[in-house]
Amino acid sequence: MKKISFPAVLSTAVLMFLFWMVITGQIVSIFRGEASWQVLTAGGIVSILVGLFASRFFIHESAFYLWNPARFLPFLFYCFIIFPIELIKANVDVARRALSPKLPVNPGIVKIPTDLKSEYGQSMLANSITLTPGTITMDIAEEEGQTNMYIHWIDVATEEPVEAGNAIKGTLEKWIGRIWK
Amino acid sequence: MEALRIVIDVFIGISVFFAFAGVVGMLRMPDAFCRMQSSTNISTLGVLGVIIGGILHSLFILGDSAFAIKLGIMGIFYIVTSPIAGHAIAKGAYRHGVRPDKKMSVDKYGEDLVEDLPQETVPDAVEEEVSA
Repeated sequence: MKKISFPAVLSTAVLMFLFWMVITGQIVSIFRGEASWQVLTAGGIVSILVGLFASRFFIHESAFYLWNPARFLPFLFYCFIIFPIELIKANVDVARRALSPKLPVNPGIVKIPTDLKSEYGQSMLANSITLTPGTITMDIAEEEGQTNMYIHWIDVATEEPVEAGNAIKGTLEKWIGRIWK
Repeated sequence: MEALRIVIDVFIGISVFFAFAGVVGMLRMPDAFCRMQSSTNISTLGVLGVIIGGILHSLFILGDSAFAIKLGIMGIFYIVTSPIAGHAIAKGAYRHGVRPDKKMSVDKYGEDLVEDLPQETVPDAVEEEVSA
């Protein structure tokens, strides 16, 4: 069991408090100057409690890692520009396959290497790959110091790990590598 | 206002198209894993289009920004959680023994899984198949 650290509790509590403000609608009321102090205080107490209990599941590395423009700006750029472009391309491709009369699919599971080292980076890449239609991450395994991902691919173009990796990951891994190690 | 209405309708139309393509794919694809691939169509652009359309509608036509923020939060949670569910379903199905009828052209996971599986789970899986 890990020790509870103050930055981890603080960052979890701040995130929980933001969600509380959004869900109760206070975040809009504050700008209109009609926020209710009772609601805000209750939310603050609850989010500190949740932070105390949940921070050790939530924060595994440095708590304010993203609190740095050199990491946060690439993160925003990735979320709003790089990833949506890949998402739309893959969506159009899979929709075309599903609607075409011949059903051109050639499914298979390939193994691709990844250079990302941190848990957050690997899970972000795996989730990005699963979220793009046409590829699903089945498993991540480490083998002789090299992390590999098993990807179910709807149209296997090549079995070669590096080439398949370049085709599946595209520019995603490069951008995630700028955010997480 | 009319132009905005058209933009909202275009977003919702895109979403309906991709949801339709996803459903057609789910019915036509040959095996469970390919069906999951097609269902990702619905869970990404199919949902995001409706959410973006809804945000624009509630912001500029209803004038209810709290509702728009809630819709945005829904979209973020959906995007964060749906790949985890998809990954868990695919991995669970494969480990339980679901295989396509037609052999996959390449199956690196199956080749590596045999050594990776803990030994005591293998006889259980066989027994279940026999009793079923």
